This record gives sequence, C-alpha cells and structure tokens, in this order.
Amino acid sequence: MKLHIKQFIASAAFSVSALLATAQNADQIFKAAGSPANPKVTVSWNRYYDHAGITEICKKIAAAHPELAKLQSIGKSYKGRDIWCLTITDFKKGNPDQKPGMYIDGNIHSNEVQGAEFSLYTAWYLTETFKDTRFIKELLADKVFYIVPTINPDGRDSYFHEPNTGSTPRSGVIPVDNDRDGLTDEDGYDDLDKDNEILLMRRKSATGRYRVDPSDPRRMIQVGPDEKGDYELLGLEGKDDDGDGVVNEDGYTFQYDPNRDWGWGWQPNYIQNGAYKYPFSLPESRAVMDFVMKHPNIAGAQSYHNAGGMILRGPGDPTDQVTYNPQDIQVYDIIARKGEELIPGYRYLIVHKDLYAAYGGELDWFYGGRGIYTYSNELWTPYLMFNKDATRNPQDNSNFQFDSYLLFKDAFVDWHEYDHPQYGKIEIGGFKKNFGRAHPGFLLESDAHRNMAFTIYHAYHTPLLNVDTVTEKDLGNGLKEVTAVISNSRIMPTHSSHDLKFKIERPDYISISGVKAVAGMVVENADLNITTEQATNPERIEVANIPGLSTVTVRWVVQGSGKYTISVDSKKGGVAKK
Amino acid sequence: MMKRIGAYLLCMLCYNSITAQTGYSNFAQQSNRINALAKANPQWVKVKSITKTTGGKDIWQITIGSGNTESKPAIAVVGGVEGNMPLSSELAIGFAENLLQGINSDSIKNLLNKTTFYIFPNMSPDAMEQYFASLRYERQGNATSTDDDRDGKSNEDGYDDLDGNNKITWMRVESPIGTYRVHPNDPRVLIKADASKGEKGTYLVFTEGKDNDKDGNFNEDAEGGVWFNKNLTFKHPSFSQGSGEYPASENETRALLDELFDRFNVYAVISFSSNNNLSTPLSFNPQAATAPVLAGWLMPDTKVNSMVSDLYNKTVGLKDAPASSANGGDLLSWGYYHYGRFSFSTPGWWVPKTKPDTAKNEKAFTVEDATANYLRWASQQNIGNVFTEWKTIQHPDFPNQKVEVGGVDPFVMQTPPFSLVPDLVKKHSAFIVKLAAAQPEIDIINVQTEKLANGLTRITLDVINKAALPSHSKLGERSYWVKRINVKVNNSSSQSIISGKKIQLLNALEGYSSKQLTWLIKGTGKVTIEAGSPTTGTKTIEVTL
Repeated sequence: MKLHIKQFIASAAFSVSALLATAQNADQIFKAAGSPANPKVTVSWNRYYDHAGITEICKKIAAAHPELAKLQSIGKSYKGRDIWCLTITDFKKGNPDQKPGMYIDGNIHSNEVQGAEFSLYTAWYLTETFKDTRFIKELLADKVFYIVPTINPDGRDSYFHEPNTGSTPRSGVIPVDNDRDGLTDEDGYDDLDKDNEILLMRRKSATGRYRVDPSDPRRMIQVGPDEKGDYELLGLEGKDDDGDGVVNEDGYTFQYDPNRDWGWGWQPNYIQNGAYKYPFSLPESRAVMDFVMKHPNIAGAQSYHNAGGMILRGPGDPTDQVTYNPQDIQVYDIIARKGEELIPGYRYLIVHKDLYAAYGGELDWFYGGRGIYTYSNELWTPYLMFNKDATRNPQDNSNFQFDSYLLFKDAFVDWHEYDHPQYGKIEIGGFKKNFGRAHPGFLLESDAHRNMAFTIYHAYHTPLLNVDTVTEKDLGNGLKEVTAVISNSRIMPTHSSHDLKFKIERPDYISISGVKAVAGMVVENADLNITTEQATNPERIEVANIPGLSTVTVRWVVQGSGKYTISVDSKKGGVAKK
Repeated sequence: MMKRIGAYLLCMLCYNSITAQTGYSNFAQQSNRINALAKANPQWVKVKSITKTTGGKDIWQITIGSGNTESKPAIAVVGGVEGNMPLSSELAIGFAENLLQGINSDSIKNLLNKTTFYIFPNMSPDAMEQYFASLRYERQGNATSTDDDRDGKSNEDGYDDLDGNNKITWMRVESPIGTYRVHPNDPRVLIKADASKGEKGTYLVFTEGKDNDKDGNFNEDAEGGVWFNKNLTFKHPSFSQGSGEYPASENETRALLDELFDRFNVYAVISFSSNNNLSTPLSFNPQAATAPVLAGWLMPDTKVNSMVSDLYNKTVGLKDAPASSANGGDLLSWGYYHYGRFSFSTPGWWVPKTKPDTAKNEKAFTVEDATANYLRWASQQNIGNVFTEWKTIQHPDFPNQKVEVGGVDPFVMQTPPFSLVPDLVKKHSAFIVKLAAAQPEIDIINVQTEKLANGLTRITLDVINKAALPSHSKLGERSYWVKRINVKVNNSSSQSIISGKKIQLLNALEGYSSKQLTWLIKGTGKVTIEAGSPTTGTKTIEVTL
C-alpha cells in the first residue's frame, strides 16, 4: 500500500509538470456548452488507446484530481496486466463506500474496444466539469462511480497489436483446444500480406457466385440465380496450418467468451458456446466479481459492448423470465426509454428476445446474483453514418459511401494479389479492423458523451434517502411518540424486487439514538394508525425496502427528553440522518 | 506449544495403529493415513494438497498409478462430499489402502499399469470435524462465515446443547397445534401428523437450541458455512442455505474443478454421497434429455448407468436403498452434466430394512418410518448409545410449556458402527476395480493393404473400442473439456495422402464397437497410424505400403 502511495505521488508530480507545458492559455479559449473548457488532463477523444495508454490516462486523472478520483488495480489479467478501476466521487463529502454506487466497465469482448474510451471519457468528464457544473457537483456529493475502462486488457492489446478482423478476438487469450484434437491454437488466421489486418480472400473462378460491383470496384456483390459470377470468396485470410483439411479452425481468436463466465444461469459450453470451466473461472471476471461483492453499495451498473446501437437488459436466458419481475422492469423501462431519447439510433432491447439466448452473461449476474439494475450498451450503429437507419437491402452500400466521402477511403485495404500455398493465385482485401464495429474517430467523442449521459441518468436515479419529517406526540408518564418519515426521492428502490425475493442485501436500518427507545414500529398507515411492532432492538428498526419515489414511516415510543438523532443506513441507498 | 506436542503424540499413536484402526478418522488421522501411503509406496502413490479450506485444512489428492499417470485412463474417487458422512472418507481412503495392500499381486500391478486413480478423500474437512468435536452435530458447512437466513448477521443463532450431553438432538414442545404425533409402534419416535387423514398432532418439533436472536426461528444461522455438495455449478441452488453466494465460490470447490478439468484422462467419477445412482440407475427422461438446458442423461448414457449399477449391486450386495434425488449444486450432477464424464455416487451404506423379531414380541410397523426402522435395527444388532431419551427441560422461549429434549442421535443413521466399515471398504474397492476392468480401450484391427497400381496403396482398418464402457459419455461428445479420438497418419515427405484425412477426430465409440477408416496413399516404405484419446489410451500400428 505504502508503495502505491509513493507511486501516486511520483506520477502526480510528473503529470503536473507535464500539464504546465501543455495546458492552453485560458484567454484563448471560449467555452463550448457542456464541455470542460480548459481541462487539467488533456485527452484526444478521436482515437483509441491500448492498455498502456489507458493506464497513463487513468493515472493522469487520479493525479490531477486527488479529491475526486482514486485509482486502484482490482486484479490482474491472465497475462498479468492490471485491471484498473477509477473511483470517482467527492471524497470530501461522506464515506464513498456508503454512497449509492454506479459501476461502469467496457471491453469485455476484446474487439469491442470503444467501451474503454466511453468509460474513460466518463471519468474524465466528471472530474473536469465538477468545478463549474452544479449538477455534477451534487451528483458526486451523493453518488460514487466505479469505472473500469477495460476488464479484458489482454484481449484489448491483442486486438490492436495482432493481425485481426473487426470481430476478433472476441475472447481473452487463455489457450483452448477448440477442436479437441489435443493441440491448442494450431490453426488460426494467417496475416498473409503482413499488414496487421485479417481481410477477405477472393479468387477468380468461372463458377464463382460473386462479381465486382460496377459502381465501386472494392465491393463484391452476389450474382442473381440467372447471372454468371467471376469470383469466389474463400473466407478470412488464412491457410490450413496443421494439414487437417480445415482452414482457421483452432486459432487464438475464439478461445472462450468472457461474457459467458458469470454466476447466474451459467451453462456449460455445449449449451452456451464460449463458456469456460465454471462461473468466474477467468481471472478478469473473477476480479470484477470480487470487487462487486466487496461493494454492496453498487446499485446500478453499465457494461459497454459493440455493436448495433442497443441498450440491452436481461434476461439472456429465455427460461429466466421470472427473475425480471414486473416491478423491476418498470425501473428498467423508465431509465432505458430515457436512454433511447439521449442516444439517437439506439434502441432498448431484451437480450434473449431481441438478440439471442445467452447464458451466464455479466448483466444477468449483476442483476440476478446481486440485484443491481444493469444495462449493456451495444455501441456504434450504422445509423450514425448518415443519421438514418441502415437497411438490409443488398444494394445498400452505405459503408462504402461513408468510407469514400467521410473517411476518404482510409477504412479499406484495396484488393491485391497473393500466392496462396493451398488456393493458388488469390486476392486479399477488405475493410480494416477499425471499421464496422469501432467508431470512426470524429464520431467517438459525441457518442461517448451521449452514452455517458445515459449512465449519469442511471446513477442519478439510484436511491437518495432523506429523513424528511420528525413529529412528536406526548403520551404522558414521561413517554413520547416520535414518528419519522424517510423518503427516497429517486426512481430506484433500495432493494430491487428480485433482491427482496432472495434477501440478497440486508434490510435498511432506521435508528434513533440519544434517547431510550421503549418500543419501535413500522407505520403501515399513519392516518388509520396501522403499525407493525418490532419487539427486539426497538432502537434500530429494520425495513425490508424503501421504494423509489416513496416514503417509509417509522415510530418509536421513547423515554426521556433531550436531543436525539434519527439515521437511516441502507447498503444500496446510502446513509442520511437528522 | 503444549497443544502442538499433544497433537504430535496423538499423530504418532494413530500412525502406529493404522493396522488396528478402531474408529472413524478425524482430519489429522486422515492426513496421516494419506501421507503414510505415499511414504510407503513412493513408486505408486503421489499425494498433494490442492488447496486449503477457509478453515485452513488441506484438501488432499492421492494419485495412484504407474509411470506417466496422465497418459492412462483414470477414475476419480471423491469422499467427504457431505460433511456429515464420515463413512464416505473412510471408503475413499480405504480404497487407496486396499489397493496398495495388494500391490505385490500381479492383478493390482496390471491394473495400475493400465489405470490411474485420482482420490480426493475429503472435500468437507471443516464440517466433518464436527463429528469429532466436543459438541457433535451434523454439519455440512465449511468454515466460511455465512448469513444462512440472510438477515445481515452471520452465525447469530446456532444450536444450544440444552441437556448438556454434548450432542445436538431434537426438542419437542407439547402443543395443541402440534404437527407431529407419537409413532404408534415406538413411542420414542415422532412422525408427521397427516391432517388430511384426520390425524391430530401433539408436538411441535425443532432441532435442539434457543432462539438466540429472537427472530422466531430456531438455529437458523449456525456456525458455517458453505456445503460442498451445494456449491457446484449444475442447477446451483442460489441463495439457499449452504449454497454459497455464487457457484463454485469455495476454495475446495474450485480446486477440485480446476484439477479435474486438467485431467482429460478421467472417464468416470465415483463419489460417496447421499445421492445414489448406483443402487438404482437413473432412468431416461426424453423431455429432460432434449431440453435446451439439458437436465436428463442421454439414452446411451443411461444404458451405461444400468450396466454399472448392475455391477455395483452384484459386487456390494446392499439392498433396499432409500430413494434419493440430486438437488442441484451437487457433485454427482456436475460430474455428468458439466464435466461430461460418467458420474456415479452411492452413500456406501444405509440402514437395512428390519423385520420384527418375534422372539422379542416385535410387531410389523403399522407406519413405515426411517427412524423407527433404524432404532429397531440398532436394537437387534445390540448397538447402544444411539438415542437420547426424552427429558423435560426449562426452555426460555417456551416459558409455560412442556419442552423435552431427546431423540435419535446425530450421524447414526448414515454412519454405521465402525465394525462394519472394513467390509464396506472391501466391497466398494472391489466394485471400483471391476469398473476399471471395463474401461474403454482403443485397438486397431483388420488392417488391410491393397496395392492399386504404381505405388498407390489403399489402407483399410477398423478402430475399435474393445471394452464394455464407451470411449466417452454420449454427452461428452459435446463438451470441449473432453478430447475426441484422434486418428493420425504419419507419413514421410515422399509419401502423400491422395484420399482420406491426415488427422481426423472421431466421436465416442460405444462399448464393443468399431469405426472403419480408409486411405489412399502414394509412395513406398512404411507409414504409422495412431488412434487414441486420453480416456482410451493410444494404439499405434505400422503399415507397409
């Protein structure tokens, strides 16, 4: 621990001197609404950062804002990389572990990279706007954000630095014998043309069913049943490395799926492709689980994926409808519908129904295992190219149009010849891995901002408890009745309905101190005087839940006069006193 | 320090008395027996600790075999699956001891040249110590602190030894709204009153203790912990007592799973637990076996279960096993559904069905009841000290009511007198050895070569499984934690394969079945062809072109 502090001081000193050199002169700047005009930490949000890059930005944020951000490693990846977590809150106000928490992570799938930048943007934005924005100031006084930009740093670096497609690798990098022949990773993709991209292979063929699009020579189109083609497609760049007659069948790019490794409705790999050994058998998901178990104040959570423009809730398991009960779905619906407004092109969907059945996913464990309202956003949608919905029309070539007129053909590798050991003369070409699922640079910041706004709305609506009114009534004989109304002014209850069903989190405690409580009771109906007494420990009344946008009333019969304090203590709802 | 010396002396004593073991072994004694095996048979036995429990106890793994043990088909044997069954650990350690006692015989040597055994004698050492503790009660939870009733407090309402006999038994409270009545044939025994038959209860029944936290429940949150046999991943009973906060939450659970997932050579898991598919095999349930989330054994695998169950019943000879069903999170289910191997379990012993002893003027029971049957059996066998006579006590939670403490003692109904154990060990060891004799074994037969023309040769052969057990479970075909049968042709650069695959993967071969393969190879000289998988062993042949 001591060592860590030293490191922080050292890095803080370093970045302060770096800042002096790079910060803009305040006189030269005119503030654009809603963005920090002269941030202490400057970050370009139109590009991607590998794990070392993320590490540096995290350290800079923590060093520049010691009273708003703390950095810790919540565990190590399989290859030993730190999984960084930024805790963002107003550390001068209250105990961070007792504030309702919002957990955000990204990049669980290696190639779904921009979740890390979106998460980091959130940490950066909260810390940089705190000074000037009253809403953010109040938010960080009440709430705490736990931001883990990448929970899959090995996979992230592998995606950037190894030859890949936009869709690979999906998994982390623990080797697996996918074809079960006793050898691991003996036949993966081959970067035949050595450009760090895995592209498509095509070959001239008299019987091929493809031809070149006359309107864009980069594009292959399928010919109709009465037409003749002149090309065949041979799949992704690779060869039969192990001589078993199959190409690319056991590579490192799909070992397992980290998002099928979570402890709610987990199923083995013959039911759920990609499941590893057992829930949390991967070090990265285990680190996140351990962190969440140690932070029962986490009330809301967000994980970032790509792509498709979706705000997803569970269940992933089609047989698990019962877990997502109507009361909780109301909360899910309100927040996600707001999300649809805030992020144009994104739709609120349900995993198993609108996407596919997925067992043992992260969002299902957060909610099913811990009772935390959780969404996964599938970042990037073709809608963002021309602000209109993409079509499934085979003639729709908007990808190519977008690349041509807005990216100036930077996203495509032109077809070029290659002499293949098994296929003979072929051509290699296609979209680069940074196009199709990852945002193009100029759209990265704006979509990060919109998605962040959604998570802020989510965090804002974690419970906010207050001891509203306290009234007294003299009962004679030195006894008096004290009645307290506790309010929750946000949408989320202190316990989701699923939590209540399994008693996942302990009850909320409403306590009186400073006087002797002779009796304590929950007031079910104040007007009709219907109460339920708690016979033991009357000074600390246990209530199962404090519902959203609602109140709970408790009453004590107390002896003695003098000042007393009434306090409420809820794991997910935070603390308040009067 | 004194304590340590005491423990040391105790160990010395038990070490010296291995041959004359007189009772169930506690953890220290188990550890000594296990390590003594490795010491006495270094060429056959390896012992390692795969983890420590939260209680600081080692989880031992005994590997018995010869040479490269990982290259031989293997059986995993697991005891202590439930902490309240000390017999299960005796059966597991006893099996290891039995094998090694016969190590000079050719039959055992041959067995160990073909088969590897991975033995995990006690998966619940924290809980099992309660059998030997000064306060004895049936415990399954390990030393992890748990909030069993999920009220935000841990271990706040455990058992209380109200009658001071160092055992936790039962309490009965006379009550006009009682749910239990006295057994008509044995007044010591209480049975449920069936209101639908017009029966009226006279007693409320609880486990022995006080409502320490005044929440209206008795002993609902005792010390410990997570139950190993509820902590595994198939149908994990999340949020129920003892299941753990998530599947495989415990060190011992994860360590066993990690170890076994790396042991691709294991074809069967035999565990000793209350779950039983050896006395009566699981039947085929087509609906469960075809559900998207599979919950029934596949047809061919149920046939194997029948065959193995037959072998068990013939070898062990125990009859009238009580019905059992796996309730989720259990090892038996994990072994099949999530490990993809054949998985078998038996309690190893249960109370035999008694007949009335007419000499003692006993009559047939008018109501069948396990406790009444047990007490009759114990008395016929002259086994004493298994029942605590009901005795009235003053109970603080029932100030004006008659409360008695007594009833059948803990453990006795699933823990036979130790004098029965050696015979049970012998019979169960014999069963495991017989099962090993049926283990899958690959061979290559009917090798034919036909010279077609100009150095072109057609090779045809049969890859067979010449044993009764399949090479893999049918379910295992689907799991990537089960390696398939790999058939490889090793040819030189001057030889080329014109037709047929250089490497091919086969699905499971049932017992006594074959798969014909053929290749066209150009060239002269010799090629070798090998076929095998970790669960079947590998066979290599040489073919002259």
